[in-house]
Amino acid sequence: MKFYPYKRLNRPITLRVTSAFLRLPDDTRDHLDTSAWSVPQRTVALGVAQHEDWVSARIGLSATLPPGATAPDAPWEKLRVLAVLTDGDTNVRNTVDLRQDAPGSKEWAGEIEVFRDDHVGRAALAVHAVAEIDGVPGRSIAETAADWSVDVTAVEPLGGLRLDVKQASFSKSAREWLRAYTDAPWAVDASGRLPLVMVNTDVEGFSDLLGGDGGGIENKIHELLVSQMATDVWTAVFHSALGDLEVESDGTPVFPDDWRGEVLREMLPDVVPGFQVEEALRRVHRRRTGDAGWVELQTRVHHAAVRRAGARKAVANILRALQQINREDSA
Amino acid sequence: MIEKPHHVPERLGLLPATAADLFLTEDLLRCVQGHAGVNLAKVVESLPEEDARWAVEPIRDLVDDAMYQFKDNRTDADGWLAPRLHATLRLTRREAADKRIWTHLALAVAPDYVAWRHVLKQGDDSRISSARFKGVLDRQCFSRLWWVAEMFRDGPDYSPVVTACANQEFLHSVLRMGLVDHRPTAQALVRVLERGVADTTREVNGLVAAINVAGATLVYDALAEDGPRDPTALRRWIAEAESAPPVPRHDLPEGPDEEPVPGESVEALAAYFTELFETAPVRGREPED
Repeated sequence: MKFYPYKRLNRPITLRVTSAFLRLPDDTRDHLDTSAWSVPQRTVALGVAQHEDWVSARIGLSATLPPGATAPDAPWEKLRVLAVLTDGDTNVRNTVDLRQDAPGSKEWAGEIEVFRDDHVGRAALAVHAVAEIDGVPGRSIAETAADWSVDVTAVEPLGGLRLDVKQASFSKSAREWLRAYTDAPWAVDASGRLPLVMVNTDVEGFSDLLGGDGGGIENKIHELLVSQMATDVWTAVFHSALGDLEVESDGTPVFPDDWRGEVLREMLPDVVPGFQVEEALRRVHRRRTGDAGWVELQTRVHHAAVRRAGARKAVANILRALQQINREDSA
Repeated sequence: MIEKPHHVPERLGLLPATAADLFLTEDLLRCVQGHAGVNLAKVVESLPEEDARWAVEPIRDLVDDAMYQFKDNRTDADGWLAPRLHATLRLTRREAADKRIWTHLALAVAPDYVAWRHVLKQGDDSRISSARFKGVLDRQCFSRLWWVAEMFRDGPDYSPVVTACANQEFLHSVLRMGLVDHRPTAQALVRVLERGVADTTREVNGLVAAINVAGATLVYDALAEDGPRDPTALRRWIAEAESAPPVPRHDLPEGPDEEPVPGESVEALAAYFTELFETAPVRGREPED
């Protein structure tokens, strides 16, 4: 809970995306349709049009201030509404002023520009209402409750953890590190920009099973394997995220900016239930770096991974399918 | 000591962290012996042949010059190398966010520089943190310098970078807090340092902490405007890498021809930060009445 030494608005600003177009290298524009963004996921996917190369994107925004913002007796003046695009991977911070639809209106609108050269993955978009209070300019009086995310490569506006899945023959791959794992059906690498699952095509028929949609029991086995891999991935990314933490001078661990931060925020409520994520991170970090408690935590980490991987559903589905087969056989 | 590798690749490439682990040997991290990097080339993903920016020689020359010129004070090498590395290796932020290129530079091209600059001696023991080879962008030996230059240059002018590098403590904390993502804030901080408002490590830490705390209720973007970004100047500068001569060793190079931060924004924020600092409680300083 933040404390503000002045009066603010209690409710958050709501933000909507109203349009988006890409500017291409030949200076033409490609307008994206509404499937490029998702309100429930609060995500804009700029990769939907599948252009290999675009120079910039312009996203149309519309923001609604909470009640009271423009009340005549409000304790502030010189109200401004700013859209701010930030990217923790590239330290970018772009700010634009939104325009008020009409004097006294709660509706503000504008556009923000996203440059392709400035981003690798996801940028965060927030809106702040700023005003002068008691002679102090630049006071923040309300903001969006949660950021929108602008993904420069995604082809679908989906939130959550993104994975890279690749197939290779582990024994012959140019990625030499894979040769140490030729006896494994898959391997997880959580050190890169996105977590990567390598599927070993040396296991005969494995990639057909994963790629096919044969129906029947094969589908259920597919689902079970994917859930098993996902469990491995969630476990690996959690440890990777925790292993790379930066620590403040007073020993407080800092949430990473990239997907590692997202993973921690998502999994910590299951790993250390009952605490705010900041406190949960402190506790887990203390257990990992301290003398005691790290081993005991592993069951919880595994539980958090299993839940996210949909393991329970996958196991139930295959058990049902097996029962059916057995019934048909005995009939 | 770690020597220059026998075989230095001709071109920069991408070295993934997982593959790099094999070459981050205990002997290298203890500064006993470099890795026998013959096989390293096999695990490197190559970058496009036709792009002149990936030539290793200009960068290798720079680190050799830095080690010679600053042999008596290695920390001072940062302020010299940061702008020159930035102007030699012309990258977009998107490219510079890729850790693999920095890992390749550190392990295959100049492990001797990483060791020279970052070895920590404790009694008879020497140790280099592995993060200096393949770590997060603000810790890794070369990406740290490139990003400092990117965040503190004022359009084409690298002189604020030199000021920022002169105070290591300051560098470390502002980069981590994301304060300087806002260009006017970065320039205003440099101006405050130049004026000697905050001098000692403790004062600088106090200043940065005060700015960070005030930032929780203030939106600095509203106090100090920045001009709109224009990506064409940067693209042109990158395209000119092909014909660019080696960077000057004595004078500062010139960066991309982007608009500098509006002067009134820098001045307004610098005045505000100075006032903030003078009223902020700093450990060990008597409050002024």
